[in-house]
Amino acid sequence: MRRLVVMLVIAVLAAALAPTAFAQEDDSVVLRIGLTQDWETLNPTVGFAVSEYEIWNVHYATLTDKAADDFEPVPGFAESWEASDDGLTYTYTLREGLLWSDGEPLTAEDVAWNINTGRDQGWDNMYSTVINLDATALDERTVQVTSSVPDPKLPTLDVYLLPKHIWEDIATDYDAAVEYDALDGVGSGPFVITEFTQSQSVVMEANPNYWGWEGEEPPIDTLIFRYFSNPDAMVAALQQGELDAIHGFPASSYDALVADDNIEVVAGQQGGFDEIAINGGAVTGQPHPALLDLEVRRAISFAVDREAVIEDLWAGLAETTDVIGVSADPKWLVDIPDDQAFTYDTARANQILDDAGYVDTDGDGIREMPDGTNPIVLRHALNTDSDIAGPIAELFTGWMEEIGIGVEVESYDQDTLYGVIAEGDYDTFFWGWTPFVDPDPMLSYFTAAELESYNDANWTDPRFEELYLEQKEELDADRRIEIVHEMLTIFHDAAIYIPLYLNPDLQAYRTDRFEGWVQQPAEVGPVIFTNSSPSYAQLRPVGEGGGLDSDGLNWLLIGGIALVVVAILVFVMTRRKTTADERE
Amino acid sequence: MLAVEQSESRGRARFILRKVLGSVLTLAFVLVFNFVLFRIVQVDPIGSLFRGRNVPAAKIDELRRAFGLDESLWTQFWLYIRETFQLNFGISYQSRQPVWEQITRSIPATVALVGISAVLSAVVGTIAGIVAAWRRNTWKDHAITSGTMVFYSMPDFWLGMILLVGFSVVLGWFPVGGITDAGTDATGIALLFDQLHHIFLPALTLTLAYLGEYALVARSSLLDVMGEDYLTVARAKGLRDSQVRRRHAVPNALLPVVTLTAINFGFVLSGAIAVEAVFSWPGLGKATADAIRGPDLPMLQGLFLLFSAAVIFFNLIADVAYAWLDPRVED
Amino acid sequence: MSSLAAQRRRATAGRVWSQFRGSRQGAVGLIVLFLFVAMALLAPVLVDARELNPVFARAAGNPQWASPDVFGPLGTDHLRRSVWAQFVWGSRVSLFVGLAATVLTILIGSVVGVVSGFVGGRVDAIMMRVTEWFLVIPFLPLAIVLASVLGRNVWNIIFVIGVTSWPSTARLVRAQVLTVKQRLFVDRARSLGAGGGHLVFRHILPNVSGLIVANATLAVPISILTETTLSFLGLGDPSSPSWGKTLEEAFVNGAIIRNAWWYFLPAGLGILAVVLAFTLIGRSLEEIADPRLGRVR
Repeated sequence: MRRLVVMLVIAVLAAALAPTAFAQEDDSVVLRIGLTQDWETLNPTVGFAVSEYEIWNVHYATLTDKAADDFEPVPGFAESWEASDDGLTYTYTLREGLLWSDGEPLTAEDVAWNINTGRDQGWDNMYSTVINLDATALDERTVQVTSSVPDPKLPTLDVYLLPKHIWEDIATDYDAAVEYDALDGVGSGPFVITEFTQSQSVVMEANPNYWGWEGEEPPIDTLIFRYFSNPDAMVAALQQGELDAIHGFPASSYDALVADDNIEVVAGQQGGFDEIAINGGAVTGQPHPALLDLEVRRAISFAVDREAVIEDLWAGLAETTDVIGVSADPKWLVDIPDDQAFTYDTARANQILDDAGYVDTDGDGIREMPDGTNPIVLRHALNTDSDIAGPIAELFTGWMEEIGIGVEVESYDQDTLYGVIAEGDYDTFFWGWTPFVDPDPMLSYFTAAELESYNDANWTDPRFEELYLEQKEELDADRRIEIVHEMLTIFHDAAIYIPLYLNPDLQAYRTDRFEGWVQQPAEVGPVIFTNSSPSYAQLRPVGEGGGLDSDGLNWLLIGGIALVVVAILVFVMTRRKTTADERE
Repeated sequence: MLAVEQSESRGRARFILRKVLGSVLTLAFVLVFNFVLFRIVQVDPIGSLFRGRNVPAAKIDELRRAFGLDESLWTQFWLYIRETFQLNFGISYQSRQPVWEQITRSIPATVALVGISAVLSAVVGTIAGIVAAWRRNTWKDHAITSGTMVFYSMPDFWLGMILLVGFSVVLGWFPVGGITDAGTDATGIALLFDQLHHIFLPALTLTLAYLGEYALVARSSLLDVMGEDYLTVARAKGLRDSQVRRRHAVPNALLPVVTLTAINFGFVLSGAIAVEAVFSWPGLGKATADAIRGPDLPMLQGLFLLFSAAVIFFNLIADVAYAWLDPRVED
Repeated sequence: MSSLAAQRRRATAGRVWSQFRGSRQGAVGLIVLFLFVAMALLAPVLVDARELNPVFARAAGNPQWASPDVFGPLGTDHLRRSVWAQFVWGSRVSLFVGLAATVLTILIGSVVGVVSGFVGGRVDAIMMRVTEWFLVIPFLPLAIVLASVLGRNVWNIIFVIGVTSWPSTARLVRAQVLTVKQRLFVDRARSLGAGGGHLVFRHILPNVSGLIVANATLAVPISILTETTLSFLGLGDPSSPSWGKTLEEAFVNGAIIRNAWWYFLPAGLGILAVVLAFTLIGRSLEEIADPRLGRVR
């Protein structure tokens, strides 16, 4: 019996110590990316998570691409375009011989169909781009796009082009399109989806028909995105060489990764920001009545210590901001004058609340409404899928405690939280956004049209609404920036969203595996999860791998020694045991 | 003689039949309980399924009818039972995939992890208990008894956290989680070794955590047996200590351990929820931990049913096995 | 008569106490437990509750992720809060939930056990059937499912633990009640025309109370460990610090990858110490209540 145990132990030990010794080299080149945000759907007509956009960016090439350094439109499917004199019509000429990954020809008709169908069906991801557009295929390679109003976004046309021959039958009604799993694997980008397992991975194979290969063999065969629920495990996997790049690692691992010689760390800025949203009560749900008072919201804003968050949760890597990020391009951001900004000041916050009549009448440390009833206790919804939502909730509770406001934390996973938000069943919650290059979509989220959908502040403002429509048709670039700045100031003054910081996309990649990583925008931006698809197409493997690496040899050595030691020990022990038994 | 045997086997058959019926009744109770909890306490399963999603009203009505939510409670209950027996536990909120599919995908990892740990802990724990009893009141006994007591008294996942820090973070000997290296394309023996490398720490954690129970039961059972006369007789016959132990004492002391093992196997599936979460082990335990974060109620409901069914089934197995092994079993 | 009974009961108590003092295990357990209870009760004196507030911790200039040799006595966490403060205040919730849940467990278990054993017949059969059901349902998943549906706060946790862990107590108490019932003096009291209530409160309960107390002591560790596990899985009360919540926060916020052992070691050791203390006390009490056990263990 004892020997059996010993054998078992030896077997387990051997197994534990010698795994890499048996690892085999494979000929195919695999790029492995780790991320911490799960996918809910890969259907581009409904999804909206950053992890989902990244897959579409790779799977679907677009009519125009964006220059890596400044986001200016550059040729994608379209090799050139011309504007009409009135600026309302653009005529795009497609490259020659474009093919879908399944070999079907990709024509002007595909482009026109997407623009028109996206508009008619009101697909969320396309709508704000194509709402005023009308497209006609003039011939196989020419498509004419006409906007009913002046459109400052053109000639950029970056909506995902779905294969018409697959979607034609599905896209006849909204529900069918929305419920489609979109795993047909037919795409036009450098890699196409071949396998999707939720909460685990998305596997993509090189698409030989992608125009960007320019007839050459794709340098990477397979692209694997792997989801990690535990970000620490993801960091460790990169360090141990099980991954080639990671996206969204926790700031607490920053120092350790920087210290690793084979790893390059990027804290990429592309306008993403995190915020605490306050329920403005415009349509749905019942926020605490105090939140409908601007003074209370201002007090809450003053009580929030952004510096603490940046320093303690982001290791100083995030940037301060007073307004929300609306674009990957920093020119759209506006400075709020110091005397208007909500600079951390607990005393001032308390003063505001005192002056507005919200005082603690029953001495329990929590303020009540001016009429002495209804203590101000906020329901803070916590997203359990975010690794910093927990600490943020702790901090928020602490900040509010300092100004006599109670907080009850309610936890939901991201998916459930969407619902809670849509029903308005919350007072505050922590959330993050990554904007597109054009500010229009982000701004549209706070209009009345997006109530009960993207408008998670549950807030509207007539002047904001007016300006939104104005910027949408303003062709003068400088004037448009001015309008956007005014909108951002209005939004800031309403104190409905508390922007905490512009968050860096924390990414890291191994330098000993692939090269050709490009930051977008240049110097400050991220290398993956960027705003255009070629980021993966430019990567090339470094040198040639093969044979046992030193790591594997070490393991073999340690494993061997351990085995011998254990065997000797066992032998000695069992011998002694037997003789001892015999002696007794 | 023949008559006696017949009545004996008839008694046994009746015993087994009774146990089977009891198990079915228990299962029925679990089903009712589940129904009450998830259909009455938690009011609107369809509403929560589509919280905040743009779902056309017609679709919701259709689902409502499919779930029978516009029917009486009795009809709903009947529908629920029918669906359950077709292994239709509904759609997971989190993945939007059938719960049953999700569950079956997670079963192998858990069976491997907890199976290995259960066997190891039973074997090692029993041996430790035997040694402790045989060397009663020596330092060995004290070391084993207090050692197993300590492991038994700590949260298992905390032990896992300590092992994880020690062996993975500080020493770097083992991976920090998962079942294989991320993005591995290993197959065959390489894959197996990769998996063994990953299973080592969680299995060690669970083995240490389970060990105590076996050691204590084996020890007290052996002490009981050692007090019996026939051992004294055996010794008087001039048998050496080790022979007495091996041939007489231990086999007799093992019965309670065997029973414990059988019953514990029922808890195998649900035994490692927090430990799997610590090691990101993709089994039923982690599925449970993930479902809690949702909360993904259909998933929890399905997992709970499965866990209960496993326990009921193995209890039945233990009873039946006991009936075959021990002829004295009566009604 | 009643003074006689009281005298007898006092004498029994005295005997139990002297036996208990004689048991080294029990004494050690009692001392450890006393220390922790004292710490929990004195928490407001020992540590300012504001130290649990990260805003306060930052204002006080605490370092982040500091090990104990940098920031005594137990270091700080990701939000600069003193781990010692969390340990002290966490003991309150952990002990309170552990004890309150046990009281509920014992209450339900005793009522079911006494009624079932005393009334007998069909009531007994039904109640024991239900008890058996609850005994078979895996305990932790049941607790998880209940806690998920009910929502997270301290009272729900107590309720969940109480509702899920009573059956073994019920079985034990019932067995004891049956034994006591057989004893002669019950028959004599009944023959004197005593009512059922009188029997239960005057004769049955006093005789099973020793067992109930011993059982309760052994049930506390289970309650505490369950609270810890539920909190670790994210089902704990988000607004009150408990040891289980400390473990959860340490795990979720990367204490493991940073090797910040000081963050999760104290809470686990606290749980271990309290659980061991109760186990030692419980076993000593059990030996006293049922001397036959002494031979085996």
